[in-house]
Amino acid sequence: MTASYLSMDIMQHFPVISIMILFLGAFLVAVFGRSKAMRVIIVSASVLTSFVLMALLIKPIMIDGQIITYWMGNWAPVDGYAIGIGIEVDALSLFFGLLVAIAVMLSGFYSFKYITQDDSPDKFFTLYLMLAGGVMGIVLSGDLFNIFVMLEVMTFAAVALTSFRSWKDGAREAAFKYLVVGSIGSTCVLLGTALVYAQCHTLNLAQISAIASNDMNPTMIMAFALLFTGFGVKAFMTPFHPIAADAHAAAPSSVSVLISGVFTKTGVYGIIRVSYFLFRSMGMSAMQTGLVFIGCVSMFVCVTMALNQHDFKRLLAFHSISQIGYILTALGLCSALGVVGGLYHAINHTLFKGLLFLVAGSVLYGTGTTYLDKLGGLAKKMPQTAALFMIGALSISGIPPFNGFVSKWMIYQATFEKAAETGSIGYAFVTIICVVTSVLTLASFVKVGQSVFFGELPLELENTKESPLSMRIPMWIMAGLCVLTGVFPNLMQKYLLNPAMESVLHPNIYIDAMLGEGYTAAHLLNQTQLASSSYTFAGYWDPLKWLVLFVIVLLGVFIAMLLGGSSKGTRALARDDKHDTFFGGEKNVYSQVASGDLFWGFKHNFRHYLSFMSNAHSGVTNDYVTWGVVDLAVILVYCFIFM
Amino acid sequence: MSILKNVVYVLIFPGLLFTAVFGLWLAGVDRKMVARMQKRIGPPLMQPAYDFFKLLGKETILPDNAARLTFTAAPYVGLVSLVVTVLLIPLAGFQVFGGVADVVVILYLLTIPSLALIFGGSASGSPYAGVGISRQMVTIMAYELPLIIILLAVGRLAGRGYDMGVTFSLGQMAEFQAANGPNIFHWSMIPAALAMLFVIPCEVGAHPFDVGEAETEICEGPLVEYSGAPLAVFKLSHAIKMFVMTALFTALFLGGITTGMLWLDIIIVLVICTLVTIISMSLAHAITARLKVEQVFKFYWTVVTGLALISLILVWIGV
Repeated sequence: MTASYLSMDIMQHFPVISIMILFLGAFLVAVFGRSKAMRVIIVSASVLTSFVLMALLIKPIMIDGQIITYWMGNWAPVDGYAIGIGIEVDALSLFFGLLVAIAVMLSGFYSFKYITQDDSPDKFFTLYLMLAGGVMGIVLSGDLFNIFVMLEVMTFAAVALTSFRSWKDGAREAAFKYLVVGSIGSTCVLLGTALVYAQCHTLNLAQISAIASNDMNPTMIMAFALLFTGFGVKAFMTPFHPIAADAHAAAPSSVSVLISGVFTKTGVYGIIRVSYFLFRSMGMSAMQTGLVFIGCVSMFVCVTMALNQHDFKRLLAFHSISQIGYILTALGLCSALGVVGGLYHAINHTLFKGLLFLVAGSVLYGTGTTYLDKLGGLAKKMPQTAALFMIGALSISGIPPFNGFVSKWMIYQATFEKAAETGSIGYAFVTIICVVTSVLTLASFVKVGQSVFFGELPLELENTKESPLSMRIPMWIMAGLCVLTGVFPNLMQKYLLNPAMESVLHPNIYIDAMLGEGYTAAHLLNQTQLASSSYTFAGYWDPLKWLVLFVIVLLGVFIAMLLGGSSKGTRALARDDKHDTFFGGEKNVYSQVASGDLFWGFKHNFRHYLSFMSNAHSGVTNDYVTWGVVDLAVILVYCFIFM
Repeated sequence: MSILKNVVYVLIFPGLLFTAVFGLWLAGVDRKMVARMQKRIGPPLMQPAYDFFKLLGKETILPDNAARLTFTAAPYVGLVSLVVTVLLIPLAGFQVFGGVADVVVILYLLTIPSLALIFGGSASGSPYAGVGISRQMVTIMAYELPLIIILLAVGRLAGRGYDMGVTFSLGQMAEFQAANGPNIFHWSMIPAALAMLFVIPCEVGAHPFDVGEAETEICEGPLVEYSGAPLAVFKLSHAIKMFVMTALFTALFLGGITTGMLWLDIIIVLVICTLVTIISMSLAHAITARLKVEQVFKFYWTVVTGLALISLILVWIGV
């Protein structure tokens, strides 16, 4: 029914409205946001509208395979030269747009209650919507300079939000680091854009893509390296990861959801656009190796750093980059299965990491701290939050049947198939690193579970209450999505991932849709396709059947228990000193294992590596800037040698 | 009718009832063999089964510190996921539920019971359990690395004939072995099979790798607060895990032995499972003392991983 009266004429305005409505909301909140009711109405209206518009576009773009082109102010191209700013939405843009809209909506609803403990919530929501609008602008835009502008809007909103709780220890410092290191990224993007403009005389993505790869002269190679690094900074790829950790720890949780789930995704989106689309450099095996290497390093370094953390949110922050590492690795394979796995992991990461940050926010809201060693036994006081944490933790650790597993499983297959295809055993080691990272992820969430939700309850947390309903509902929605995306991988592939993968691997359709049929054929010299868009799995996984079997066996066990008659019931012990823990005849008071002492056998064997790593993460901005500049230099040299 | 048949498969053979009985029997064999190797008479073969029923009849006590739902639910989740995993591993060409999970999924499904133990122990609130789960997690980290390398090596060997060049499918691995003889007779697979023999006791939590449940040091770690039916279920899971891991070993390295009669093939597989139990678990149990946790980790990430890597490299260069 929707399709009948929502014609394309109306739909082509949806993308631009879904960006504008967020910015409009930001200004309206700034003006009228003093009263709580107005704030809730304005913010809800704008995030909901944005989400609904994105969701309505699924039918024409994902299923019918159309591409929406919109020229701002109707400045259509003249003689094949784009002169205005274009908004263009293909399946890839819509994929990221949906992801942004879901995270922004749920996190926004969560914030209403969560932010009541702070001063000036109107300013919070102004910045929040600016950040959301910036991100939305990046993924839907079809213009390189427009992307840069939105990138800046997004970055500055994020920096301001990081220091929003400026009374908090380290908040301003984190924002400062973020600003300094983040501006390396922005500078790179700006410089790259300038070089591209000088060479191609256009800023339109489609037009650049049609002519850039024809002549990869040194200037263009430099532009590629700069743009790649610039977006890499936004994705916090190693060695830019330490700023993310500080920023997440200081920022309010609902902002962490955006920084981790959405902000970093723009980096991933940028890297896809730059290397698959603009410069089409992903076909080169050197580029693939490079991206996979960066992905693996990010994955492993950050997961080992996460194991060492004592703060719930810092730990989550390191895991974000580790998961981004998975995505980059998968995308670096430049195979259909790799792209599908990478995009799948991107949406899964937004969901489970969003959920986990909101859980951390609830813990902070209820107890006033996220320091692991001060918490414990919260499952008794916050049972729903504990259940939500379990869902998030099992998802991120890749335990079937939750969503993290399916995407990781696809990535394992993609890397291993790549190993067989290229005959290089190196890619088999990539698979091994992925699996090891997944186990270490599990370990660090066992640590969080033990230190925050299980174990002994410290006396000062006796009065902790379950988080309010308005905070739990968005979390339950996210948890539900974590389960659904895990149980129905077929539907995910059919309606979201395959169309997005097609548009990553077939950029020519995008160009022709924007600049007219036949434009690519006339301008692009090398017409070879990056990779075939069909893929086969090396194995199989059917979550639904598994769940059915699980339920049948569960029923069987219960029937057996009833028939076998575990006649004696359960009994809770009355509180008595004799049930406490004793050691050598002395009563142990709060003898819970400290979070830093867990996994001693592992840490002992890796002590040199771990102490080197924690020394290297000195927290000094200068060091991090040095790492960044060195990394940029390495990438530049690498590109000049191999491209 | 077919639904009824499937329910019988799930609940009777090779599902819940059979795995429970055979698992407990394997545990009995293990205890008996260890006793004989140490020149003791040892308990009767069905002793683990007697223990199981005895525990079922005991009262369950909930500790004051426990997070109750997790504490009570964890053993059952672990048991059920383990039984489902058995259904997904082919027993000599007898696989009722093909196409559900490949070998990498099984690797992950096998972590669910361990996780159930970890979160159950964690939920009990005891500091002994805290130490126990920490060690348990380290053993998981220890064996997971060699195990994935073993699976990749087998997957590469068996997958050569297919267009992807690799396979994770247990069905295709069985086909490959039916055509080319059991994997263990390939030179390149011998180190991997050896590594797998080391992985089995660590995954099961058998002596000398049972650092997580060390009775003498930390009072069975995660199990310290458990009693009655949940404890019985954990003990049952432990026994079933022996069956799962030995069956997986058989499927990976000793598949394709066929006599033409399915029931005879299944019996052969069960005999092999028993033999593997004796070799990989009883023997090591009888002759070694428990390792320290950092030694377990080091052993698996050096020696066992090294063996598995040798296999992977040999397969890769086509030996």
